[in-house]
Amino acid sequence: MKNIIFAEDLIERICWVIKLRWIAVVGVILVILSASRILKFSLPLFPLYIIAIALAGYNLIFFLLLTQFRRKGSFVIINRIANAQISLDLLSLAALIHFSGGIENPFIFYFIFHMIIASILLSCRASFLQATFTALLFCLIVTLEYFGILPHYCLKGFITYNQHDHLIYISGVSFVFISTLYIAVYMATSISARLRQRERILQETNELLNEKDRIKSEYVLRVSHDIKEHLSAIQGCLEPVAGGITGELNPKQLDLVQRAAGRTGKLMFFVKALLEITRIKLSKELKMDYFLFEGMLSEAIAYIDSKAKDKNISVNSTVEPTIDKIRGSKEYIQEAITNLLANSVKYTPRNGRINIKVSDKGNSILIEITDNGIGIPKDELPRIFEEFYRASNAREVERDGTGLGLSIAKQIVERHNGKIRVDSEEGKGSIFSIQLPK
Amino acid sequence: MNDKVKILIIDDDPDIVEAMKVVLESSHYEVSIAKNGEEGIKRTKLDRPNLIILDVMMESMDKGFDVARDLKKDKNYKDIPILMLTAIKDRTGLDFKNEAGDEAWLPVDDYLDKPLKPNELLEKVELLLKKT
Repeated sequence: MKNIIFAEDLIERICWVIKLRWIAVVGVILVILSASRILKFSLPLFPLYIIAIALAGYNLIFFLLLTQFRRKGSFVIINRIANAQISLDLLSLAALIHFSGGIENPFIFYFIFHMIIASILLSCRASFLQATFTALLFCLIVTLEYFGILPHYCLKGFITYNQHDHLIYISGVSFVFISTLYIAVYMATSISARLRQRERILQETNELLNEKDRIKSEYVLRVSHDIKEHLSAIQGCLEPVAGGITGELNPKQLDLVQRAAGRTGKLMFFVKALLEITRIKLSKELKMDYFLFEGMLSEAIAYIDSKAKDKNISVNSTVEPTIDKIRGSKEYIQEAITNLLANSVKYTPRNGRINIKVSDKGNSILIEITDNGIGIPKDELPRIFEEFYRASNAREVERDGTGLGLSIAKQIVERHNGKIRVDSEEGKGSIFSIQLPK
Repeated sequence: MNDKVKILIIDDDPDIVEAMKVVLESSHYEVSIAKNGEEGIKRTKLDRPNLIILDVMMESMDKGFDVARDLKKDKNYKDIPILMLTAIKDRTGLDFKNEAGDEAWLPVDDYLDKPLKPNELLEKVELLLKKT
């Protein structure tokens, strides 16, 4: 499992390096052009362009290799690709340096970038090996040029006289260069190791938190279930009394018993909502199937119809005719939509209106529920889907809401890989939108 | 008194049983009670009730289903309508309502969700008795 995560991580980083290399190809060509054309340095253009083309060529090959190994590649293969890339980069840069002045070329310090990239991409040991490889390459070029085994291409126009055979100069530059390489690798690998460790700790902590959250949810499920059983019994005993089945009560008795029954009902509603959201959280997979969207929507509207009629609220719905069956858990999606509709009815004043518009977005559908109700204060919008959160103006309209309806809807939509959002203006109304994959 | 309609309640929650009994007796049904599945089957054989109200969760999570299956298998009792009380969705996440009447799956005649509303209970009982 860990290796898979690291492989994905590594692939992402290699992709980044491939992108950088395209920039490098362009950069190399621009530098060659400006050095030869504008600054009039004498450079062996042919080998330099060949190297630039080679750079582009192997970048393309790595890009293709990566797309192939992306799905099935093991960590070992991808790691090898990363190592090979860096070695080839070092060789290309060394060749470029050789054909453009060797030790006289200040671009030798660009090797430092490669060391930093190696430290980010590779293990600590591999990074130091790459540094050693660079140092050896560098010494090789400098030595061979010094003894005249390799030709020296002097950067005429940039420096006044040849430096490649000046022993003190080349020793000094080599010392500074090689020490800089190792120091850069040391620093970059230690930062990178610390970051990797932190990443691992974060990941472990995240797993632990998820596990704790699951334990908490199970606890909530058990407790609320037990509460619900007792409540059922209380309600079962109160209702016959409140309903006069056990005989007539005097007005005071009736009032108090009805109050008790009413409150029990509210508590039951709350406990049921709590059970519902906890159940969704704990369920590993929702049972998905294809179902007719429009039929499901009509049923959802039917649930809230009588309450809407009581307040003379008009409910209109339009469904784009191309929307037929969608895949999901019909019961849960219906519950999410019913919750939103019930909210709209609750927080829309008498004679208001609710519009439901469902549009086809190709791979998904967009359900928009618009009302001209009390709306949600702007500063409270980000918290509206939180569990138990109730907007201040909603509390004024209805004292006892559960604060769970919207979070249940959100959980359901997210379990379907959909999105839920709200736009609202206080006093004018709200639009709740759900985007669901088909 | 003999022509009274007999209803057997099989449920292990004495408070809910008592509440149901009060409601049913107010509509002049004769109510007998069994506190668990085994007793329920015995009582059914003894009393031959006209209807059984059966709780799902008793000794075990789905004891009610076993009782219903056993009774429906027996040709002497398979015609007694069974009204099942269930709050089982809470624990299993399953919604059994869609399956009502599907004998191969669950051999009961109707369902009622807990908590019970007195009127709903009476309506369902009346409806089931009319069918038989």
